[in-house]
Parts: sequence; structure tokens; C-alpha cells
Amino acid sequence: MSVVLVLAALLAGTYVVAVLEGWASTGRLRPAGPLVSGLALLGRESLVPRKPDRIFFEVAPPLLLVAAVLAAAVLPLAPGLIVTDLATGALFVNASFAYVMVAVLMAGWGPDGAYAMVGGFRFLGQLVAYSMLVVMPITAVAMRAESLLTTEVVTSQVSLWNALYQPLGFALFFLAAMAIAFLPPFDLPIAPGELAEGVLAEYTGWRLGVMRFGRALLVLTLALAVTVFYLGGWFGPVLPPWAWTALKTLAVAAVMLSVGRYVPRLREADVLAWGWKYGIPLALVNIFYVGVVLLVAM
Amino acid sequence: MGQAVFTGFFGAAAIWFGVVVFRTSSMVRSALALLFSQAAIGAMFLAMETEFLGVLQLMMMATEMAIMAIFMVMYMMDPGGLGGMDMTHQKRASLVAGALGAVAALVVALLAGWGPVATRVPAATAQVHDLGIEIMERSMLIFETAGVTILTAMIAATAIAIRRRR
Repeated sequence: MSVVLVLAALLAGTYVVAVLEGWASTGRLRPAGPLVSGLALLGRESLVPRKPDRIFFEVAPPLLLVAAVLAAAVLPLAPGLIVTDLATGALFVNASFAYVMVAVLMAGWGPDGAYAMVGGFRFLGQLVAYSMLVVMPITAVAMRAESLLTTEVVTSQVSLWNALYQPLGFALFFLAAMAIAFLPPFDLPIAPGELAEGVLAEYTGWRLGVMRFGRALLVLTLALAVTVFYLGGWFGPVLPPWAWTALKTLAVAAVMLSVGRYVPRLREADVLAWGWKYGIPLALVNIFYVGVVLLVAM
Repeated sequence: MGQAVFTGFFGAAAIWFGVVVFRTSSMVRSALALLFSQAAIGAMFLAMETEFLGVLQLMMMATEMAIMAIFMVMYMMDPGGLGGMDMTHQKRASLVAGALGAVAALVVALLAGWGPVATRVPAATAQVHDLGIEIMERSMLIFETAGVTILTAMIAATAIAIRRRR
């Protein structure tokens, strides 16, 4: 039962994220926009480029979707409303996000096109910049919860949200989450205006539809992960728990989607340099700080 | 029974993808085949109810293969790996080494005293807890030594790679 509910919630949330993305990128709010463009994509021919790597080309869109769904499966929407509360939930979230890179690399390599390939390899480089900034802040979150269960992570924040308890980790994880979903200013693999949609360039019709759907679902899942790990998950007054999760998740997604309007696209070299020279030392400081605070509190 | 079937299935998948690594002519396909081979081993861990090891394997291998792919692409003759290339070299020596390795693995698998087969497995949360205690207590020295060794190797490799300033 909870599986059906979670899937329905994800579907609804993805739609809202798609509407928000359209709003953030065009400045016009069109509630029926994703439905119309989705139907239009289904109606168009889905071309297969000449001499593709057929397996990679076909596997990439569903793999992106599956990676996002798997991450969502271990994140609670409300007490009891979770697909599976894995004992290694916090680690599993990270594991499934790692396969986003595999999907994007496949989408870049598969079509045998120059723009797509450059985009795919750019994302590979981007992973090297962001992946430590996903796992190290999660480590500090798990330290406070003394568990890898995502439900335990939420209940550990009953008195104080992690966003306030470890603001450094929150900021790093938030930026890394944006880099996973290649949202602007981290949209290097698609880079509209410079790389002509990069990894998405060779996809058309329903395959592009699956790709776009997977991307929107990924944004939602990342926003949900930020909510669960840092914003107290379902906790909140008056409203029912699921409503708080939904509100917080959509608010996080809205912020993620709107930042790109005000910041220019970063250079690949800068993302890598900043990730390693500033991000990782700061993440280590965060782990150390959380450790000291936990010991003092004991 | 189901457990044995799944473990065997993922084991066969791991071997198959391992074969694909050498049969393809593209660096990227080779790297991703290796990733799927390792991911299949992660799935074997999951089938054997060692949840932490399975998830860790799935996570680490995706990232590690990515980094390996970056280095492969960096050091290749053709940018981006668009040209085909043979994945094998020193064929006779590799055949001998591979055959010897396989025989050695089979001998160990068949002759080692594995003790009684575990019929009950601790719960997944208990496994995570026990593993943490093991790493931070009895095996701490081993893990710290391994960590420092890898760090030293990384620093040494970087030092070699940096071009000397004039």
C-alpha cells in the first residue's frame, strides 16, 4: 500500500517540479505546460542516430529514472510512509545517486555525437568534484543520528534541524545535490547555448520524454533527501507529517531551480578546483565539528 | 534455494561482464562493463544478506570506475576514445596467468575448510553496528595502515605527475 502511495506522491511531486522548472527558466507559470510538452514528445518520432551504441543509447533514459526512484525508495515521506527502511538507507541514497553519472555517461557516449560525448565526459569530471561532497556531509548526519536508517536520521532532528546543527554540511550537500541533477549553474553536461543540450542533444520523442521525466524526478528526490537529512523531514506543527515533507521538499526544489537564474554557468575547471580545494576541507571540518559537539553533548 | 539461485545468477553475470571487458573495442564500454561486473558482485552480497557490503560495493564501484574511466580517457591516444582499440595485450602470458589464477581460486574454493554454513544471519542493523565496532576496535590498525598507505601512494603519484616548475 505504501509503495503505491509513495509512487503517486513522487509522480505528483515530479509534475510540480516540472512546472516549477518551466517557471524558473522562462518566467511564465504554465500549470499545464509539462502535460502538453510531454504529450507532444510522445507524439513525435523518436529518432535513433546513425551508428549508435544501441545498448547505452536505450539504457540511459530508464537508468536515470531508476536511479532516482531507488533513492526515493529509502527516504521517508511520513512515519511509516516509506517503501523500504533499509538499515543502510543513508548509504543507499548515495549509491543510487552514483548511477545518475552512469546514465549520463551512457547518454553521452551512446548516440555517437560530438556534443553529447563532450557533455557525458564533462559530467564524469563533475562527479569527481561533487561526489565527496555528497558522502561526507551524509557521514556527519549519520554520526548525529547514530544510525544509517533514514527514519532515525529524521527522528534525531526532533529538537533541532540538521540545517541549523551543521549548517556547513547543509550548504555543501545542497550544492552537491544541485551538481548531481546538473541544474544551473552546474548544468555543464547539457549547457544550453554552448553545448546545444549536450547529453540530451541526440534524444528525441518519447526517449527525450523519459530523460526529462527522470531529470525532474531526480530533482524531486534530491530535494527530498535534503529535507530528510537536514530539514527535519516530516516534523512540523499543525499540518499532518506528509504535508510538511511535501512543503519542505517542494520549497527546496524551488530554491534549487531558481538559483540558476541569477548565477552564470561555472567552468568545469572551477567546479573541480573549488570542490577539492574548498569543498572537501570544509566537509572534513564539518565532520570534525559535529564529532566535537556530539562528544561535548555526551 | 532462491538465495543460491540469485547468488549464482549474479555470479554468472559478474563473470560475463568481466569477459565483455576484453571483448569490446571501446574504452568506455570496457569501463562500464567492468562497473557492471563489480555491481553484480555487489548484488551477490545483497543476495547473501550482507546488506552493508552490498550497498557499499554498489556505491564505491560506480565512483571508482568513473575515476578509472577518466584516467583511461586522459591517457588514450585518441581523444574521447572514439577510435576502436584492442583491449588485450601479451596474450600468451595473460592466458597462462588467467588459467593459473582460475585454478588457484578453484583449489582454494574446493579445498578450504569453510566450517559450518551459517543458517541464521544477524539483522541488517546489527550487521552495520558490528562492522563499525570491528573497524573501530580490533581491526582499527589494519584499516588505518591501509588508509595511510593509499594516501601516501596518492601523494606520491601526484608529486610524480606535477611538472617541475622552472
